[in-house]
Amino acid sequence: MDVYQIKALSFTYPLASRRALFLPELCLGKGEFTVLCGRSGCGKTTLLRHLKPALTPHGESAGEILFFGKPLAELGLREQASRIGFVQQNPDNQIVTDKVWHELAFGLESLGTDSETLRLRVAETAGFFGIQGWFRESVSRLSGGQKQLLSLASVMAMQPEVLILDEPTGQLDPVAAGEFLDMVQRINRELGITVLLSEQRLEAVFPMADRVLVMDEGEIIADGSPREAGTRLEAMEHPMRYALPSPMQIYAGIKNNLPCPVTVREGRQWLDRLEIRPQVPASAGREKPDTLQKPDPPAIELREVWFRYEKPLPDVLRGLTMKIPGGVLYCIAGGNGSGKTTALSVMAGLLRPYRGQVCLGGEVLSGKAAGHGGMRLSMLPQSPQTLFVKSTVRADLLEMLEGGAISPGEREDRLRAVSELTEIAGLLSRHPFDLSGGEQQRAALAKVLLAEPQILLMDEPTKGMDGDFKLRLASILKELTGRGVTVVMVSHDIEFCARYADLCCLFFDGGMVSEGAPGSFFSGNSVYTTAANRMARHVFPEAVTAEDVIKRANAALGSR
Amino acid sequence: MQMQPSGPDRKSRRTVAATITAVLAPATVLAGVFLLGDRKYYFVSLLMVLYALILFGLAFERRRPQARELVIAAVLTALSVAGRSAFFMLPQFKPVAAIVIIAGVCMGGETGFLVGALTGFISGFLFGQGPWTPWQMLCFGGIGLLAGALVRQGILRRDRLSLCIYGGLSTFLLYGGVMDLASVLMTFPRLTWQALLASYAAGLWFNLVHALSTVFFLFVLSKPMIEKLDRIKVKYGLMEP
Amino acid sequence: MRDAFSSYHPTVNLAYFAGIILLSMLLLHPYFLVFSFLGGLAYFLRLRGRGALRFCFLFLLPLMAAAAVLNPLFNHAGVTILAYLPDGNPVTLESICYGAAAAGMFGAVLLWFACCGDVMTSDKWIYLFGRIFPAQSLLLSMALRFIPRYQMQAGVISRSQACLGRGATGKGILRKARGGLRILSILTTWALENAIETADSMKARGYGLPGRTSFSLFRFDGRDRIVFFILMGLAAAAFWGLAAGAAGIRFFPSIHLPETTPSVVAIRILYPVLCFLPLILDAAEELQWTYIRSRL
Repeated sequence: MDVYQIKALSFTYPLASRRALFLPELCLGKGEFTVLCGRSGCGKTTLLRHLKPALTPHGESAGEILFFGKPLAELGLREQASRIGFVQQNPDNQIVTDKVWHELAFGLESLGTDSETLRLRVAETAGFFGIQGWFRESVSRLSGGQKQLLSLASVMAMQPEVLILDEPTGQLDPVAAGEFLDMVQRINRELGITVLLSEQRLEAVFPMADRVLVMDEGEIIADGSPREAGTRLEAMEHPMRYALPSPMQIYAGIKNNLPCPVTVREGRQWLDRLEIRPQVPASAGREKPDTLQKPDPPAIELREVWFRYEKPLPDVLRGLTMKIPGGVLYCIAGGNGSGKTTALSVMAGLLRPYRGQVCLGGEVLSGKAAGHGGMRLSMLPQSPQTLFVKSTVRADLLEMLEGGAISPGEREDRLRAVSELTEIAGLLSRHPFDLSGGEQQRAALAKVLLAEPQILLMDEPTKGMDGDFKLRLASILKELTGRGVTVVMVSHDIEFCARYADLCCLFFDGGMVSEGAPGSFFSGNSVYTTAANRMARHVFPEAVTAEDVIKRANAALGSR
Repeated sequence: MQMQPSGPDRKSRRTVAATITAVLAPATVLAGVFLLGDRKYYFVSLLMVLYALILFGLAFERRRPQARELVIAAVLTALSVAGRSAFFMLPQFKPVAAIVIIAGVCMGGETGFLVGALTGFISGFLFGQGPWTPWQMLCFGGIGLLAGALVRQGILRRDRLSLCIYGGLSTFLLYGGVMDLASVLMTFPRLTWQALLASYAAGLWFNLVHALSTVFFLFVLSKPMIEKLDRIKVKYGLMEP
Repeated sequence: MRDAFSSYHPTVNLAYFAGIILLSMLLLHPYFLVFSFLGGLAYFLRLRGRGALRFCFLFLLPLMAAAAVLNPLFNHAGVTILAYLPDGNPVTLESICYGAAAAGMFGAVLLWFACCGDVMTSDKWIYLFGRIFPAQSLLLSMALRFIPRYQMQAGVISRSQACLGRGATGKGILRKARGGLRILSILTTWALENAIETADSMKARGYGLPGRTSFSLFRFDGRDRIVFFILMGLAAAAFWGLAAGAAGIRFFPSIHLPETTPSVVAIRILYPVLCFLPLILDAAEELQWTYIRSRL
């Protein structure tokens, strides 16, 4: 019997003119691992929330949802609480109590489980999720990955039959996201629980999925195995195809009759079967990109910077030396705790090194935070929500222009210019907290840009964002660097860095270990590199993005 | 299966409430009068404060508050405690009373009382518990409860000026007055007007700073905070105050 | 190192502190006062170590001195007049004695409250409240989860605002205060908007269903039962002595001490045991470990 049967479901939000959801028919089989993908705002969350009545949004809905053959609406509160597990995106907002063990027991307490059973269930769950080590900890001492794992565990303690996850790894770094998704796969494989997961990291979840659903504008546009869904998207030339795993994108760009690869391993085998002769790199050894040899002083220069937060704590930056030339997009990559964000704060003058120098535009940054050594510098923090003060986006942006000697007319001009650049002109009358994540990020960027910075620092601007946002961000950043603004961003998003950066560097243990233009930088790494490079490096060592590989492969095949 | 009444818990709560009002409270007064001699005033008053807190707690539980209501109360409590520790270097210059009053005005007297009492209790963990803790809980709670009740009766308006006046008066008279009374009861065998007056004179400066800081915080915070709370209530269809 | 008494069941902890604090407030006879005070002081030193001395000298002593001095100044009851104040009111022996007793009582109560604050951690209160005040105990737990989170977020906001040149940094009290209020305002919006997701997560896990149970890691075992009965017995004896007048003292109008009868003697022996119970349990545990180690 199917877990869910959806018949002619449609839904419209109050005051909205367009339907947010329209599903003629959809079934979810027992034990299936289904991935739901689509651009943000396509109705994924609306659909997922319809599958759990306690979370269904207010609005006008029609149609029918059956849960194990019975109407979902008739399911009692108690039953839906225990049988349908739901995990949301933000790990911090989901956790209710202050202790790990209490959070694990929360759902079972609500169900009125007696003490003996509760003790057993909590023990079992903690064991399965490997929580024993931090079972008695305070929640505030956990890492983001641990918190999300705890959210999942506390839902699983109620022994649900279906597990629904709404972009659960959006706020996690790649390592923690991988661990989390592995756990979800274990739950599906070892406990046989039906999983419905919405996700942006298709590279990671496609190999796990039995079935992929792609949504656009409230409708399902592709449904099938990962291979089928991918082929369908490519055939439709839908924008979502850029979010597909690199092997699938490369496969679609090259004419062939072989089966479609999904993982990097399959991709390598597929390339081998195409019989392309390996290309020797054009020039052996690594050349320094010419941007570094510019005569004028670098926009940012760090000379042997040492930093720690407190005297007894270990160093976070250990003799960091780097030069960032003006007018480029410079990406800093590296694992957690490698000192990336700290380095950014040091550049911004928010933290002061105890040894070494920071120079902006050739001038040494002194203690006065106000004048950044003659260069205007702004920083976009990781959480855009910490920037908003007013109740409309417009008021919030105008607030940035207060104080200076600017005429009202000029204020309007600058407001218009920046909102066009960041594409938020249509959002100005909204409350900042009513915007989606990507819209909030763009509004925050607009606010920061109103200070007209010559140097823009960004901390993880693509975290939890969809491909659509990344495209827009890339074009905004290109416009800015074109105007001579230096953009430095810290990111875990290798694919974004490879595609759009002028220069990349890798941080490890408080220092910089390598630097270069994306082509040479990523081809020099063997693990910390893009999926396209990992898949094709034995044939095209310098190809970093999917397009690079497609171009070279087609050239090689064509010349044969 | 669905609507299983939580019989034993509810019944036991009612029993406790009845026991306190009918048996314990009169018994405490009698025991104080006949057994305790010189300590009766402080002792009886302290127990009465505890009974009041327990009775209020029971009344709140009886309403079976919903998740959203509970979360908002927790947020306001945490904000007022965090606000209190943010201004730790200035004694008596704290936004606690202001936030409690705003809670009472926007979310009703019961939530106001709860936020106030809980702030007093949690502050004890951070700044040290003492015999003043129950009194502090009662005073902060009372300020919030009264604010909510006066708004409901239409006596207190939600504009900045009336809130500032209420805030100043309630912190000075209610909080300062009762806390000083408590310290007199703790120190002296019986209530004399000289001792009370001396205690008020000694506490005047503290209470004045406290009242003025409440007025200041209400002046600055009341409008934006009320707007934010109203927005949340509208956005998520919360109960009317 | 954690002391032994803290590891007992919360019910035992709370019963003990409720009993000892009430008795310290009521037993104003110098003999009992001395033990209430010394017991509290010794346990407090055990809990806090050297940090306890600061508390005693900076906080406790001034308050005790104030209580001792203020009583004869404002309380003129009593028959033995020693002198007259400039305003014509008498200073009596009884009120001086009462002042001394009040100071001792004050000190003892403050010490026991401080010990109680250290031993009764928030999770013990949440457990004890859980049954009769389920919603409020959950509320307490939620608030305790939010507080460190908000303090951290306030730091994040402050740094973000500093990026825009609007942080709480800068010179002048006014600018600092304005920056602080700005942070509080942003924090409030952020907290309220994000809290709705928390409420959703509670609803998704069935909060609000009737018949909620409360789970805890505490177990009332044999050791707790034994100590609980011992302390109940000791406290009952002390209260009985108090009610029978054996342990009491009358100050006004003239000082009156109870006569020494066998029951008075018995209570005088039992009360110090109650006062030092946490330390006795601690010493017993220490001895046990020494014994185990010596057999290895």
